[in-house]
Amino acid sequence: MGAGRDERAFVRAAQRGSASGIEALFRLHWPRAHRAAYLVVHDAAAAEDIAQEAFLAAVRNLDHFDRGRPFGPWLHRIVVNRAIDWARARQLRGETELIDAGAAELAAPIDDSLLAALAALPPDHRAVIVLRHLLEYTPGEIAELLGLPRGTVNSRLRRGLDSLRETV
Amino acid sequence: MKQSLERIQIPDEHEARERSWAVVSAAFAEREPQPRRRSWRPVAAVALAVVVLAGLLSPPGRAVLDGIRQVVGVKESAPALFSLPAPGRLLVTAGSGVWIVDENGSKRLLGDYREASWSPFGRFVVAARANELAALAADGTVRWSLARPDVRLPRWGGSRTDTRIAYLSRGQLRVVGGDGKGDRLLDAQIAERAPVWLPGGGHRLAYARRDGSVRVVDVDTGAVVDRDAPARLLDPPAATASPNGRWTVVGWADADQLVFTRLGRPRQIRAVSDVSAQFRSRSFPRIEGWCCAP
Repeated sequence: MGAGRDERAFVRAAQRGSASGIEALFRLHWPRAHRAAYLVVHDAAAAEDIAQEAFLAAVRNLDHFDRGRPFGPWLHRIVVNRAIDWARARQLRGETELIDAGAAELAAPIDDSLLAALAALPPDHRAVIVLRHLLEYTPGEIAELLGLPRGTVNSRLRRGLDSLRETV
Repeated sequence: MKQSLERIQIPDEHEARERSWAVVSAAFAEREPQPRRRSWRPVAAVALAVVVLAGLLSPPGRAVLDGIRQVVGVKESAPALFSLPAPGRLLVTAGSGVWIVDENGSKRLLGDYREASWSPFGRFVVAARANELAALAADGTVRWSLARPDVRLPRWGGSRTDTRIAYLSRGQLRVVGGDGKGDRLLDAQIAERAPVWLPGGGHRLAYARRDGSVRVVDVDTGAVVDRDAPARLLDPPAATASPNGRWTVVGWADADQLVFTRLGRPRQIRAVSDVSAQFRSRSFPRIEGWCCAP
């Protein structure tokens, strides 16, 4: 059975109320959803919140989910768009918002050169790089996921990769 | 490129996955409609109704509990809270103060506070006593405190990285950041009822006003989202659910018992006796929340 058929079977099972169905979906998609969020926001706690909220949205909308469509792109659209929003908001508010009293314990220094180079890009460019090179969407699919013209996606990809090459 | 992106270390990656799975699976368990829920809901409703009716209408006693056993099949009645039937920790307020009960049944008295609630992910507790609001670690260490008059009904809401605490102080509704900063007045015309943080993004708080209305406010912007929200937003849940959504617990004050009900198959009820004495309290303890597996 292929991955797509597996996924459809998990969705069907979850829609019927099977806990193992939703767990299979979660285990299948969490690693990449969480990683995609982290690579865009560069904040472990925020990435966890974003990926978690995307799965909660999936649970809330499970009954309305079209089984004929793949689950991954639907989830990734939520994750990446929320991650972009979060990263933009953080730039605006300069990290001065009130935080959970222990959140600092979760933070870790960014010591990876690729991660640091990604962090130097604008959030929209990071998202395009992550969608293309981590989640392996085509530029056309990325344009659809983010609601952007394909030319914009291509230019962000090109500029983002140029910038990464210079830095890493 | 893909391999490089996949090799980047994410702090706390595995713990994040398991924490999130606990939240997602609990949300899934509460989801409806589901065929399997139909099988347990009437039974659980009967069990809870019997518990409530027993507390309200009839003399407390073993006979009533035996009736519940026959309805849903109690396996045992424990003389002490030896363990919780599901992962997570209970936050309990008693006459002696605020307690945390771990899954293995061990209890810690956090201090002589009179009310408390969990932080959104259960890593901290906000507690209130006469003239103090305090944020505590699970071992009772005070992270910060605010001196305020007549503090009541603190409620902690928000996401893992950005939280707010709402509380009442001498007839006013106030809000402070999770780090104890930015304390401010939100409304001076409120009724004495616990505010409720609404789910979803942002920091939206529902609370009751003196004129009888229920208002929803975005506490960050101060914008009134709804001036006449449904009163049911403020209704406390009929029972406290475990983090995985598979058990509930209710306090049965007249019988001095806690009653845990499993919401699925196999159907079970577990009763724990002599609850007040276990929390060194003259009054029956109140369950403030059953929060997140560590």
